[in-house]
Amino acid sequence: MTEHGSVKMAEEEQNASAEKLKEKANNYFKDKDYENAIKYYTEALELNPSNAVYYSNRSLAYLRTECYGYALVDATKALELDKNYIKGYYRRATSNMALGKFKAALKDYETVVRVRPNDKDAKMKYQECNKIVKQKAFERAIASDELKRSVVDSLDIENMTIEDDYAGPKLEDGKVTLKFMKDLMAWFKDQKKLHRKCAYQILVQVKEVLSKLPSLVEITLKETEKITICGDTHGQYYDLLNIFDLNGLPSVTNPYLFNGDFVDRGSFSVEVILTLFGFKLLYPEHFHLLRGNHETDNMNQMYGFEGEVKAKYTAQMFQLFSEVFQWLPLAQSINNKVLVMHGGLFSEDGVTLDDIRKIDRNRQPPDSGPMCDLLWSDPQPQDGRSVSKRGVSCQFGPDVTERFLDQNKLQYIVRSHEVKAEGYEVTHSGKCITVFSAPNYCDQMGNKGAYIHLRGSDLKPEFHQFNAVPHPNVKPMAYANSLMQMGMM
Amino acid sequence: MASKQPFTDSDTADEAVRATCDDASTCKRFATSKGYWTDLYVQYFVRQIGERKAPEINRGYYGRVRGMNLLIDAFLKKTRCDCQVVNLGAGLDTTFWRLKDENIMPKKFFEVDFPMIVARKIHHIKTKPPLSKPLIETHSTDSLVLDGHSLDSDRYCIIGADLRDLPALEEKLKKFQINPELPTLFLSECVLVYMTPEKSSKLLNWVAHTFPTAMFINYEQVNMNDRFGQIMIENLQRRQCNLAGVDVCQSLDSQKERFLSAGWESVKALDMMTVYSMLPREDVARIERLEFLDEKELLHQLLQHYCICWAVKDKLSLGLSQIGF
Repeated sequence: MTEHGSVKMAEEEQNASAEKLKEKANNYFKDKDYENAIKYYTEALELNPSNAVYYSNRSLAYLRTECYGYALVDATKALELDKNYIKGYYRRATSNMALGKFKAALKDYETVVRVRPNDKDAKMKYQECNKIVKQKAFERAIASDELKRSVVDSLDIENMTIEDDYAGPKLEDGKVTLKFMKDLMAWFKDQKKLHRKCAYQILVQVKEVLSKLPSLVEITLKETEKITICGDTHGQYYDLLNIFDLNGLPSVTNPYLFNGDFVDRGSFSVEVILTLFGFKLLYPEHFHLLRGNHETDNMNQMYGFEGEVKAKYTAQMFQLFSEVFQWLPLAQSINNKVLVMHGGLFSEDGVTLDDIRKIDRNRQPPDSGPMCDLLWSDPQPQDGRSVSKRGVSCQFGPDVTERFLDQNKLQYIVRSHEVKAEGYEVTHSGKCITVFSAPNYCDQMGNKGAYIHLRGSDLKPEFHQFNAVPHPNVKPMAYANSLMQMGMM
Repeated sequence: MASKQPFTDSDTADEAVRATCDDASTCKRFATSKGYWTDLYVQYFVRQIGERKAPEINRGYYGRVRGMNLLIDAFLKKTRCDCQVVNLGAGLDTTFWRLKDENIMPKKFFEVDFPMIVARKIHHIKTKPPLSKPLIETHSTDSLVLDGHSLDSDRYCIIGADLRDLPALEEKLKKFQINPELPTLFLSECVLVYMTPEKSSKLLNWVAHTFPTAMFINYEQVNMNDRFGQIMIENLQRRQCNLAGVDVCQSLDSQKERFLSAGWESVKALDMMTVYSMLPREDVARIERLEFLDEKELLHQLLQHYCICWAVKDKLSLGLSQIGF
């Protein structure tokens, strides 16, 4: 055999092996095991790096795993190898769409139409893309939440069994008691897991309680009564325990209001939220929870809560959390004088307390409007309103606050939503107060936490600051997608 | 047979510093997978895309990579590629391959890092054709000269060395034909901060006095005197990672001063907040749409605590001091 011949044979053998690997990858792809699909496409490419189909297939697998950067690279490579490979254009167009390069995507569809002028499917894809480009902006303004069946309907909690070797806390006669809460907090502090049956029981019950509340909760503090208002806690369970150590456990004489953002970012979100829900069930009239922008699907998917619940429990349980979050009230008024909400005031003048009361809140927040503003807006120092730096809702000035308070006969608002070095901030001449209760936020910011004491006698805010306490060296969400990184290295 | 050295504190410290190489490369791997910028080669150094990083980290790395690349490309343009680049503490950096693709290669690209890191990098290059092909293509013979701790080709060279041992470093660079008369760009990203101020000062001094026409670009921490800086130092200490050179990271002024007192002619420094604001707006808008950032303050704090500082010596009067953002 000549040297050339043996080289050719070796190449043919390699290509055959590569094909086998591609078949393997395709099978994984069909099974939605995209990680393995990528792995085997990669191995196929190592044997045969000039195969456009392998690149195109891997590109699709990358699209499925949201690695749009790599999807684009592979699609581009496929086209470099074979510029007539139509699928390559489609892949590249999809990648470009995901990367926000709309014009580039449209160009690829144009190319296909040019190359295949009689191809109806190509023309359709081009028109679709054109429509999608126009609709993308449109879609952002419209939030349509389809009516979903509740997870509760598909649960059979009664028949869930608790194993004999489970040594953790259980509800007493299906109810949350003070003993249960104390045992629960100690159990969590020790990094142990509450049995899923108990978690489900809590969730189903708290969903029931929250769904009966109006979107605007109204409470009255008598002269001798007081309340403690806390801001964002963001999964910082050990700092939450510290708040209870410093300020006392919740009780009918020690009421609390937690102003949203209980989960995400911090590594112990499950422990925080189950503790807060537990106390809500124990003291429904004296323990209040308001919704924050992080009690939503988008935020939970990105910032860890969904991953944490899926790792510690199941996807189904996360679904139930999502439903429960939708029933959290949006604002609370105290003695008709102080209004509390997570984000802030509104993008337009003229919103009344009655408007808030009437909000149909059992949904994901829309991209704009009063429900969105309550969860997302921020105060600003200058008068008027500005486009929000966050890209959602608005920033509102002291004049907006003044007009709102006047119209609704209120004294001031308390909100959270922004990390503050001192744990709190008083702005708008005392009419807009921010309170944030996650000290050393993300283990990085070095900020203090704070909470507010409000007495029924004078409703004057009294600020208490506190520092972060140590927490177990658990790699944050080691079991899910970790968000912990200390900066540039 | 030599007796085994006991495991000293400095071994632990060095090991912790070497581990930061993986922080940088895994972050870049993740950010590129999400489309923040294109890097065709990092995947050959870091196999798996790995765990998610927070959006502010991805944006921070975007700023770093874009900022550094802007200055690097400007130096290459100014010298018409008639120059050398030396990347100190290069880790698994892929700049050489980017420059080859974009056709703006220096006469020779040198990388220096701890021998253990270099050995890893050489292994990847050896075993991955997409990495080795560009080296072979730019080499005059068919095979590369390599052993466990160094790889040398006509246009690319990687050297295992300790930046605190300047005589050895100089000897190795000379061995692989570095030309001190050629305009040379030195790069260090989060490298000097792991050396004591004395050691890094000696390094900067040596560069200034050995290379009469040169630029040194340093990316690392700044404004470290506040709470955020304190927390960062504590967090890193828990990983046995010591910011031995953090005193120089007090302010932009201290970062500049270290170069001036080491014999450099002129120096500029900007914090990353400023650099980020000077990057092309359209691309910044694009990457900010990739992932929604829930708390801008996290990004602001991060950007305010890192800087790019670039110093110049210009014996050939090439106008190097004009290079900037």
